[in-house]
Amino acid sequence: MATGSLPKPASGWSLSPEDKPILIAGAFILVILAIGTAYTLATQGTASFLSPVYLLQQLQVGAFLGIVAAGAMLVILLGHIDLSIPWTLTAGAMLGSAIGGPYAIPVGLAVGMVVGLVNGLGVAYLRVPSMIFTLGVNAVMRGFMVMLTGGYAPQSTATPLMSYLATGHVLGIPMPLIVWAVLSVLVVLLLQRTSVGRYIYAIGNRERAAYLSGINTRMVIILAFIISGACSALAGVLLAGYSSKAYQGMGDPYLLPAIAAVVIGGTNILGGRGRYLGTVVGTILIVLLTSVLSVMQMPEAGRQIIYGLVIILMLLVYGRQRGVIA
Amino acid sequence: MTPDNSPFLELSGVSKRYGGVRALENVDFACRRGSIHAVLGENGAGKSTLIKIIAGVVQPDEGIMRLAGQPVRFRDPLAANAAGIVCIFQELSLMPDLSVADNIGISNPPRTRLGLIDKRAQRRRTEELLARVGCEDVNPLEQVKNLPLSRRQMVEIAKALGRGPRLLILDEATSALTSSDVLKVYDILKKLGEEGLSLLYISHRMHEIEALADTCSVFRNGRHIETFPAGTRGPDEIVQLMIGREMAHVYPPKPAGRGAVPPVLEVQDLRWGDRLNGVSLKVGKGEIVGLGGLDGQGQRELQLALFGVLSGLSGTILVDGKPVTLSSPAQAKHHSIGMALIPEDRKTEGLMLPMSIADNIGMAAMGSLTSGVFVDPAKERAAIQRMVDKLKIKVGDVADPVATLSGGNQQKVVIAKWLLTEPRIILLNDPTRGIDVGTKQELYQLLRDLADAGASILFYTTDYDELIGCCDRVLILYDGRIVRELQGDEIDEKAIVATSLNLPTTAETPFSAEAAP
Repeated sequence: MATGSLPKPASGWSLSPEDKPILIAGAFILVILAIGTAYTLATQGTASFLSPVYLLQQLQVGAFLGIVAAGAMLVILLGHIDLSIPWTLTAGAMLGSAIGGPYAIPVGLAVGMVVGLVNGLGVAYLRVPSMIFTLGVNAVMRGFMVMLTGGYAPQSTATPLMSYLATGHVLGIPMPLIVWAVLSVLVVLLLQRTSVGRYIYAIGNRERAAYLSGINTRMVIILAFIISGACSALAGVLLAGYSSKAYQGMGDPYLLPAIAAVVIGGTNILGGRGRYLGTVVGTILIVLLTSVLSVMQMPEAGRQIIYGLVIILMLLVYGRQRGVIA
Repeated sequence: MTPDNSPFLELSGVSKRYGGVRALENVDFACRRGSIHAVLGENGAGKSTLIKIIAGVVQPDEGIMRLAGQPVRFRDPLAANAAGIVCIFQELSLMPDLSVADNIGISNPPRTRLGLIDKRAQRRRTEELLARVGCEDVNPLEQVKNLPLSRRQMVEIAKALGRGPRLLILDEATSALTSSDVLKVYDILKKLGEEGLSLLYISHRMHEIEALADTCSVFRNGRHIETFPAGTRGPDEIVQLMIGREMAHVYPPKPAGRGAVPPVLEVQDLRWGDRLNGVSLKVGKGEIVGLGGLDGQGQRELQLALFGVLSGLSGTILVDGKPVTLSSPAQAKHHSIGMALIPEDRKTEGLMLPMSIADNIGMAAMGSLTSGVFVDPAKERAAIQRMVDKLKIKVGDVADPVATLSGGNQQKVVIAKWLLTEPRIILLNDPTRGIDVGTKQELYQLLRDLADAGASILFYTTDYDELIGCCDRVLILYDGRIVRELQGDEIDEKAIVATSLNLPTTAETPFSAEAAP
């Protein structure tokens, strides 16, 4: 034990406890692909799961989930949770496409940020547990959206720009994937290279100690919820472009997979620990698992059972490792 | 009955390794019946490992442990408990949201015939146990979180007694106690000793050991150095045995009187609820001002109030003669004020334990470690290394979690975090609690150096020695106000204790007044 030897540069590839879940999830992705390929080889004689076209297509679908999960992760790192994702996503999509024209996307994002601001204020200032507050906000948003359309399906359609961002290609790469990649770079920079990123981890570990370190914990919490709301709305805008219109309930299938992707990626559900790369890997794992199960013509019931079991199993594996460290 | 001097607990040739580190090496150790046996040593000397082995928390790699002559091997703490070995650990093990009675009965509550918990019997038993530790004034139905820290520790002792121990281990169990409570604990422990209970007692407070123990064992670097009857060696000799080298003066010399210094921090008639009842004080540039008095007289609240944590204050706070309003630690930290608080509980208030040493050190001064919006890694590494060197923090790798450090080094990390903000006003809340002698000495020197460099220090401590040794002035608080200021030669134990206790209030004893919420 030398007094104060300099640390290895943080960019070095030493295996930290936080890398293990990422490696395990990555290995599991390969297992899923192998099983899927074995199935297609046996039934169709092709390895369609390994074709670049299929993989790019999956990543394109995964981008929507990945964008939602990126925002969800920031909130989870704080030790909170954002359950208002489904109707924030829907509201962003519906109001954005209702406005139409060049303002469609900014308005959609603004809606998400306002919802995030309300969530943040409720959690940071009113000190309502985020699980309850965001659940309430989700219900309120749902009510607003039903009120807006009078209970009928919205008539508005996506703008051309929304469609392009959701379905276009640049150099053969789907646009949503590019949006996801840009967002990912921003989130990584935020988490690893800014004070706010450091504060997010600090608050997730011990909010009181962070507060007593002179950190403006309320602002950090509010900011994280705003980003989460914006991410949900962004996914909503893209999804509306993808299916060329916004519709009620379009966000419902995104809440649990987004949280699952974050947690499978090794982020502690109680906050304070986790790497963004894990969330990306977790997203891909969930998208591939869903896809492979449906190609294998697994009945819906069986798909749900396997899906749930995988999440529990992965967390059990991580939990055992953590127990030793703690 | 066997005579008094037969060992109740006997260890021979016990060794324990953690990875490559030898925590205990070939230790022979014995503890007699009815003996109050002090175990002394710096942090990392092997005391904790010794206790963990005795209490069944870890198993020895080699060696034999005998209890009343019979070889024993405990698989887990429950087995040790069953054999009559009960531990009171440094970290309080009470559940804050449960009542005192529920806490005391937690592992083995009295039951009714239906197998349900017999609340009435549990309450009766709690009352008996509290009476045994002299805490009749604690309501068994009170939630533990509403009790001051010193009362909680007494509840902890009562809880341990409830398990019917034959060997009671106290690991820093008096570190949160006020002097008056410590005296009570002495009486209780002495009475227990007379009843034939063996006591293993770990404390870093030398005068407690002198007052209490009949036998002392010194450990150093995992070895048992020497056991001797208490009183046969002077404190200096004991300290020397513990650190293995000659001890210089524990406290750095105080500067001679410099006459009046302009106050950097001034407080006028500060009030908060019924905890602060009009506090006025001044702290000058380069001064170390001690806060004394019984525990829970508003010292903590005063520091939190100054640091902007409490809302609903009245009164005036002046920094450099200008009134300021501080409504959050972020404001107090701002360089125009330049305040820092070393909080009471380093594990929950000072540190993010799972985060790295580097992250913790940088946490309060992130603003100065960034270029533009991004953290500057080179600047950050340099600043952290500077702090590690300056405070001589013993680290392997600053990327390790801060939880892997010893208590003394963790406290140094908390202090390093704040020194990086270059504070002008430093508030310390009992910073040496549970820290070994060597590190304490370094901290005293550090405080004096900081003061000499121009910092104003407001130092609350429950250890009177520190008030006497460290402080230029001492303010004694009682019931949320300052009742006396001691200066220069006036600062001695007698004056401090007398002022803390003998108050011109009513016939009411300060003990019961202290317990009132």
